[in-house]
Amino acid sequence: MTVNTEPQALISHLPKADGSATFSYAGYTVVGAVNGPIEVQRRDELPEEAAVDVIVRPAAGVGGTRERHLESLIQSTLRQIILVNNFPRTLIQVILQIIVAPENEYVNAKITQASSNLPILPALLQTAILSLLSSTLPLTATLTSTALAIVPDQGGSNIVLNPTAREVEQSQSFHVFAFTSHNELILAESEGSFTMKEWDDVYARAYSQCCPPALSSDNDDAMIDDQRSAGSDLRHFTRSTMEQKIVSDLYWK
Amino acid sequence: MPREAEPSLNERAFVVQALQEGLRIDGRALDQFRELDLKFGDQYGVADLTLGKTRIFAKVSAEVTTPYTDRPFDGIFTITTELSPMASPSFEVNRPTETEIMLSRLLEKTVRRSNALDTESLCLVSGQKCWSIRVDLHVLSHDGNLIDASCLAVVAALRHFRKPDTSIEGETLTIYTPAEREPVPLSWLHSPLCVTFSFFGEEADIVVMDANLLEEQLRVTSFTISFNKHGEICQGAKLGGTTVEAMTLIKCANDALDKVKELTTWLDLKLVEDSKRRDKGGLMAELSAENER
Repeated sequence: MTVNTEPQALISHLPKADGSATFSYAGYTVVGAVNGPIEVQRRDELPEEAAVDVIVRPAAGVGGTRERHLESLIQSTLRQIILVNNFPRTLIQVILQIIVAPENEYVNAKITQASSNLPILPALLQTAILSLLSSTLPLTATLTSTALAIVPDQGGSNIVLNPTAREVEQSQSFHVFAFTSHNELILAESEGSFTMKEWDDVYARAYSQCCPPALSSDNDDAMIDDQRSAGSDLRHFTRSTMEQKIVSDLYWK
Repeated sequence: MPREAEPSLNERAFVVQALQEGLRIDGRALDQFRELDLKFGDQYGVADLTLGKTRIFAKVSAEVTTPYTDRPFDGIFTITTELSPMASPSFEVNRPTETEIMLSRLLEKTVRRSNALDTESLCLVSGQKCWSIRVDLHVLSHDGNLIDASCLAVVAALRHFRKPDTSIEGETLTIYTPAEREPVPLSWLHSPLCVTFSFFGEEADIVVMDANLLEEQLRVTSFTISFNKHGEICQGAKLGGTTVEAMTLIKCANDALDKVKELTTWLDLKLVEDSKRRDKGGLMAELSAENER
């Protein structure tokens, strides 16, 4: 199976939802939809702010505890960046449908418990952001997210960006980071065993990946090219996708 | 949760009057389907079907389990449908609506009970091990005629699907991973497809194929019939609503058969196209460890 290294996105393609996006990157494809602000059920209503409801649905099988865990992580992240105080007593619904997740060719998968967990989190977050932008809900910032694994390599260890299913399986520890567009850390999740030093290294790598220097100065070109080769610059990707969308929407003007 | 918005009185009168004059609001003929498109994923058993603005995503997966004790020679085959709020905010998670129940019921009758998939071929060791094939159907956007579109998506996904190859030597059963051996297709017997007719007018005398959401909200009754390309009826359902003349239903059945033949040819063509796309360099035949039947 070929894995696309360049991120791809399709914005506002579902006719019924208020905002929608399809995002594919590093072997994952997720369709996201946002409805909101809509009427909220009495028991979920918050008097001072909008309730954010995240639904993660696996491609095969019914969602279980792993999906609930992912939902709670995404919900607490999105709540920070959506201006929830602008819409008291309403609901903002984010639905994330996983379409493709990379499969490990060396193992026959089980379906009773859908096997999506942390590695899919960056794709889900990125789709959620694009869907929210598509629904034109006011946000304080956008975010970029990345996944890294520490894979043992000939005595030492190696930090792998956007690891494959097989690399995740072999890794000592696995980390997911998300940064806002103001270069602030908003989400850090890790699993496996690692030292504080390793975490610092991974954090530095994730920071350089998610928070690249602005493209304004020309003499930085060489350095930017260096980072480009390590992985795609998702922040500029989000920005250019939205710019393209707006240009095509305003074409009639 | 918000209710689905009902069409206004003006809209209602306009659509119904236009239909009485033999016109549809989107300019189609009464028996014309919207534009169909089908995409297969990189993995086996993934189908993404678009019918106008309706979009359905079907994924097939297989795993080894123990068969039911009362049916030791049969494998397990299930179709799951769940409408998420992605299709419309009026659908709630974990609370099936009538549309959803009707949809899963019809698919069950059409695909499962017509024995389209030979469940006996899914048996590995009788009473101990069998394949469990599961189809997950996700409605990404809902603009009418979910039943026909879903049925087509399910059949397409199942025909596209490959399950891991197995071999039995004496007492040991080996299941090969995709890296070891090329997966094998399911034992598929026939392709049943649904066609839904919507009826309009006091006497239910205006017959429309492939109704969109607005037309579905205004119809007086509907009739779903399933055929395979050999002309065998797999299922027929007319659930309540205004009574329809028997002759009209017979005419519908004839039209449905023509449509099913057309759709089957189209589906065969799409599957051939996809297998050509995968078969780069013509090595697929050599990779296969399957015997000619």
